[in-house]
Amino acid sequence: MPEPWPEKEDRELLALVQEGSHPAFAELVQRHTGRYYRLAFRYLQNREAAEDVVQDAFLKLWEDPQKWQAEKNTKFTTWFYRVVVNLCLDWRKRKRPVELNEDMPLIDERETADQAMLRWEEQKVLEQEIAALPERQRTALNLCFDEGVSNQEAADIMGVNLKALQSLLMRAKTTLKERMKSYL
Amino acid sequence: MSQNEDEKLEAILRQRRVEPASQDLATRIILKAQGLPQIRNISLWQSVRQLFAEFHLPAPGYVLASALILGMIVGFTATPENTNETNAQIAAQSFLSADEGPL
Repeated sequence: MPEPWPEKEDRELLALVQEGSHPAFAELVQRHTGRYYRLAFRYLQNREAAEDVVQDAFLKLWEDPQKWQAEKNTKFTTWFYRVVVNLCLDWRKRKRPVELNEDMPLIDERETADQAMLRWEEQKVLEQEIAALPERQRTALNLCFDEGVSNQEAADIMGVNLKALQSLLMRAKTTLKERMKSYL
Repeated sequence: MSQNEDEKLEAILRQRRVEPASQDLATRIILKAQGLPQIRNISLWQSVRQLFAEFHLPAPGYVLASALILGMIVGFTATPENTNETNAQIAAQSFLSADEGPL
């Protein structure tokens, strides 16, 4: 009888991965690839780069699963966010910032060409401004506007307290508001 | 006005576009991991057990305990002659090396 992998918690799957279980690893990958890809994409603004980072993160986990220590009481997702964020920062240090993709698809087909163009430009400027933010402000913003990450979890991922995270967020938003005045 | 700007900025931030990942990203990762060995951090005790298993020896605990008991028995049953013999060997060694001093 096959193991009911979807019913297992991340913690249980990790314990199996530490024993060398490929099916448990596969379940973890299927379960979490999407969310970590989205985060990596927000950092890097490039599909190939984001995919490479996520692949790298999961392969590192497979090669040395003992790095995640259950007894430290950290949720796997929180710990792995940290891994992915660090890999994204490393990637950005090693490589030059990537240019934004010019052929962005239209977000809503009901929009007129002018509206779509304006929206595209707005997004492009926003991404450039976010990329220009200090590293910690950018990380706070990327984590908090990513689905499912609460402010407390984002603070845990960044290793700061909730107040510090809120302050980083506020500074980031103030800067963005200033720089994007013409779009608001 | 400022609140309106805040709301607009939040709305734009929430609408940030994410290009979808390749359909086979997860599969690619899983397949790649199948060809990679895991790093195993094993303790000293685990490596001793593996060594015993490799050579088909009895459980290491029993062997180590038996060796300890055997050692104690041999130690307690050592006769005085054996000890004297050792002392004689030491005396001979010191006699031989005493000549080497002045050289």
